[in-house]
Amino acid sequence: MAAVTERSRLSDFMWPALAWIVALVFFFPIFWLVFTSFKTDADAVKPEHLFFFTPTLENYTNMTENYDYWRFATNSVITSTFATLFALAVGVPCAYAMAFNPSKHTKDILMWMLSTKMLPAAAVLYPMTFLTKNFLGIFDTHFLVILVLCLINLPIAIWMLFTYFKEIPKEIIEASKMDGVTTWGEIKDILIPLAWGGVASTALLTFIFCWNEAYWTVRLTTVDAATLSKLIEGNRAPEGLFFGRLAAVSTAAVGPIVVLGWFCQKQLVQGLTFGAVK
Amino acid sequence: MSDRSIPRLLQTPAVILLLFWMLVPLSMTLFFSFIRYVLNSTRRPEWTSPSLENWRGFGNYEYVLNNKDFWFAIQNSVFIVTSILIITVIFGLAIAVLINRSFPGRGIVRVLLISPFFVMPAVNAVLWINMILDPVLGLNGVAVGGINNIVDGLRDFPVLGAFFSLWPEFEPISFRATQTSAYAVIMMVSWQWTPFAVLIFMTSLQSEDESQKEAATLDGASPWSQFINLTVPHLARPIAIVVMIQSIFHLSLYAEIEIVSRGNGNKNLPYLIGEFSSNNIGAASATGIFAVILANIIAIFLLRMVGKSLMD
Repeated sequence: MAAVTERSRLSDFMWPALAWIVALVFFFPIFWLVFTSFKTDADAVKPEHLFFFTPTLENYTNMTENYDYWRFATNSVITSTFATLFALAVGVPCAYAMAFNPSKHTKDILMWMLSTKMLPAAAVLYPMTFLTKNFLGIFDTHFLVILVLCLINLPIAIWMLFTYFKEIPKEIIEASKMDGVTTWGEIKDILIPLAWGGVASTALLTFIFCWNEAYWTVRLTTVDAATLSKLIEGNRAPEGLFFGRLAAVSTAAVGPIVVLGWFCQKQLVQGLTFGAVK
Repeated sequence: MSDRSIPRLLQTPAVILLLFWMLVPLSMTLFFSFIRYVLNSTRRPEWTSPSLENWRGFGNYEYVLNNKDFWFAIQNSVFIVTSILIITVIFGLAIAVLINRSFPGRGIVRVLLISPFFVMPAVNAVLWINMILDPVLGLNGVAVGGINNIVDGLRDFPVLGAFFSLWPEFEPISFRATQTSAYAVIMMVSWQWTPFAVLIFMTSLQSEDESQKEAATLDGASPWSQFINLTVPHLARPIAIVVMIQSIFHLSLYAEIEIVSRGNGNKNLPYLIGEFSSNNIGAASATGIFAVILANIIAIFLLRMVGKSLMD
């Protein structure tokens, strides 16, 4: 008996310790990125300054001249924000109709929407370039990036909203219909206040996906509408690389999103598995 | 009447937008895949604009199927995706079980673990290939240099020195080389997606039937046999979903492959399409159609699984 308690005491300590070690190992690359961003470019590549160095904010204060960071960051903020807003504006009415007035085709429509998400982007790369460049003349505009980001995230947004709306009792909506409330009134005054948490986490997750998107934002822009993904990808060259400043601009590009992500990690499961894992 | 038409009206914008998004570019790809279409040709200028007169039938498909880059790209895509899947599912399961208990600081552990998932792919690749894996300036080079220094120091010892002087000077591996760039991509993507697997498995573990486990413990079942006989079957569906969602995402990897080695020795289908697109649009489109077919095979299974849980 004594042996058993001894063993469980040891494992009581051992497993949490192992969990902490694993978590720190996984976080280490991010820590290293932030850590390096406080080194000068010269210190960043010297082994003797691996852990001990004089921290500097120089990389952050020079971000504007080194990389023109704020222009790319502004583009990222504008495109991600508007894409998220449009996805919600189109997605909320759609998910509302599907959740409260389902027809026999609702399930098929939802499945079909999801299938558009699975289309490999590379397969339609040239047609998109051709259409937007030669035909519509919207290549490298904010409008195009917003539209594409909105469209690729719309299926996930609708799915998430749908799963949240389904949890609201139908009777509440039907009662308001009896009282002669208009459809717009139902959405604005009843649905959104009731499903506020769900709408907020859908918005947050959509925003994160827009921000991190790295195929279309790189391929459909050159200068004017280029986002942070493009900025980082443009500075990938190994030769003559400045680790300190590269780390600073990378930290600035991912920092806000990683923090936002901490707030919606639970919703991530529902959003990414389309409600199939609860 | 308005009872039925309003809901339909509310769905219309989303349906029309997605319909355009799917149909217009895809039908153009399909059309381009059947014609001769190149961007620059001084010899055959008539091929530089898309037209029905340049009809080539299945010629582009034949060209692609006879191209050894295509087969290498398929092989490499499958290699990368399978490796990532095996790594993320095994680590994901182990870590999810590890943190599925209460201990001090569990909330912080969760936050630290999930963080890699929110790093943008371009930063992930730049961070790993430069600051961590670079053979000279990265931690890889620093660590190997450190080992060499220690071995060098030990060579001066009286007895042990004879043993250590036999040791070679270690060379750090370069992960930008033709043979190794795929491993670099596998490493960085696995780092990013293991947290995703952990999160899904953990969510699912929380709905596991605890009374079953207690009964098993009373019957004297070992923790290992409980894990194999109770937990793994419970997780079968989440595992399948993790595998399929990741397959769809990783089949279209691009930024990582571009940043690590510009596709040197490590092309996948999207990268090959990108390369073809610089001139041979016909071949790029035919390759694109193959990529669509490949993605669809996986998507059908995924949609079936998701569909089951849809209306309950």
